[in-house]
Amino acid sequence: MDSEQLKAYLKTEGATIVGVGDLTRFLAKEITHLGRGISLAINKGLTQDAIERLLKLQRLTEAWLKDRGFRSLSVPPDSDRIKGKYIARLYHLVSHKTAATCAGLGWIGKNGLVINSDYGSKLSWATVLTDAPFWPDSPYMESKCGDCDLCVKYCPSGAVQGLLWSRQAPEAEIVVYKRCLSLKKKRHVFEEKPNCGLCVTICPYSRKKQVKAKVRGVKTGS
Amino acid sequence: MADDAKKQEIFDKMKNGVIQYDEDACKEGAQEALDAGLDANEAIFDGLVAGMEEVGRLFEAQEYFVPEILMCADALYAGLDILKPHCKQMDIGVKGSVVIGTVEGDVHDIGKNLVKMMFDVAGFTVYDLGRDVPLDQFVEEQLKTDSELVCLSAMMTTSMVGMPKVIEKIKAKNPNCMIMIGGAPTSQELADKWGADGYATDASNALKEAIKMVSFLKKLRDEKLAKK
Ligand code: B12
Repeated sequence: MDSEQLKAYLKTEGATIVGVGDLTRFLAKEITHLGRGISLAINKGLTQDAIERLLKLQRLTEAWLKDRGFRSLSVPPDSDRIKGKYIARLYHLVSHKTAATCAGLGWIGKNGLVINSDYGSKLSWATVLTDAPFWPDSPYMESKCGDCDLCVKYCPSGAVQGLLWSRQAPEAEIVVYKRCLSLKKKRHVFEEKPNCGLCVTICPYSRKKQVKAKVRGVKTGS
Repeated sequence: MADDAKKQEIFDKMKNGVIQYDEDACKEGAQEALDAGLDANEAIFDGLVAGMEEVGRLFEAQEYFVPEILMCADALYAGLDILKPHCKQMDIGVKGSVVIGTVEGDVHDIGKNLVKMMFDVAGFTVYDLGRDVPLDQFVEEQLKTDSELVCLSAMMTTSMVGMPKVIEKIKAKNPNCMIMIGGAPTSQELADKWGADGYATDASNALKEAIKMVSFLKKLRDEKLAKK
């Protein structure tokens, strides 16, 4: 089954990029019947506004699928923050990052985040699982970061290890989150999210389409 | 007061809301029930819980899978949150305290929570241990709180086998405490066989049974005191 129609529809509704991944071998048994992951992202940090826009896109996706007789399960963008709902017990079984790499929308960069070749790692992600038999897009199998190690150099807490991700060794500790977190604790100045976010802004892929002024003063390459 | 047709319509809305895992429909239905002056308890059981029963059938027919079931449970709770504060506090004369939980190995807590709610409404003190509760924790909590009643819930044939163990331990430590069991795979026969003092098929009957038990215990205690 072709996914082009759904993708085009979601883009007119505001999605920046949409892909379909084959997630079958990553899913726990409660949800293996929902083997396709529709990965969608908008070009915006995870603000309240971005969350609401993604949730709306997910509802549209669910309705589109339901009209055609398919099941779906939406995993919201901020799935880790949703407490007290029964359905939330399934959220941790699905990773937006895995869905995105399977859907061919990006690889996991040295900064531990999905990097899309056009937008870098500033995208906000959401996933809708479905049993609709879409032909999957071709997945990324390995990192495209190459020799670039800007995020390693600029990380103020030494959390970014400089490892190249590959689907063969997905569990490698690319970012030492304990160190990343230690910095969060020291710096309370950030309002939206406590991350310092340097590894996002420094990434050349993130800067491709960005307003230049934001990263002025940071030298590219070495 | 709403007529019967209107009442049925509202209950059906909630029931279908649960089946279609439509939280908004459940909330609206619950609000309509309140606005129409319907009894909140009745709305919960004939509307929301009736829907969950149908969901159980759909699950068994493999039309629904785990994600749907969980979303149905969320829809049920969306309605419940609105109705619960309006459940008439019953003045039943007796007040007891109860330890309740779903036994080890079992995460089904929807039914247990309904039973708990009935106890709340009746003004019982409830110590809810949650779900997948280690068997010894029932024993410890009963001793700690000196509750008259322990209620064990299980929804699986594999988990309910823990019940006789708990019953035995509690009876050994505190023969005066009464134990009630429930959940779909259990029965009066099993309750008798395992030495439980009571069993009930649903939440309303669970409360009725509990009231009987607590009254009985009070009577025993009073008699003892009278003899002294
Ligand atoms: C909802 C549900 C789930 C939900 C649970 C969500 C939750 N937080 O509760 C989820 C999806 C998580 C789930 C998971 C699983 N489930 Co399930 N689930 C159900 C389902 C569909 C409905 C249960 C329910 O909530 N009913 C509605 C409530 C209102 O009714 P109730 O629980 O019976 O409660 C009433 C009475 O029994 C009574 N009552 C209840 N407790 C007590 C206690 C006392 C003291 C008293 C007096 C009365 C009382 O009062 C209540 C209200 O009136 C049933 C199927 C069915 N038709 O029953 C299967 C079912 C219970 N599940 C089953 C199974 C096998 C599982 C899983 C192993 C996965 C699977 N293969 O599906 C896991 C188990 C995980 C675990 N270790 O526990 C089997 C159990 C089979 C068995 N061995 O006995 C059932 C029977 C389905 C089936 N036909 O196979 N499940």
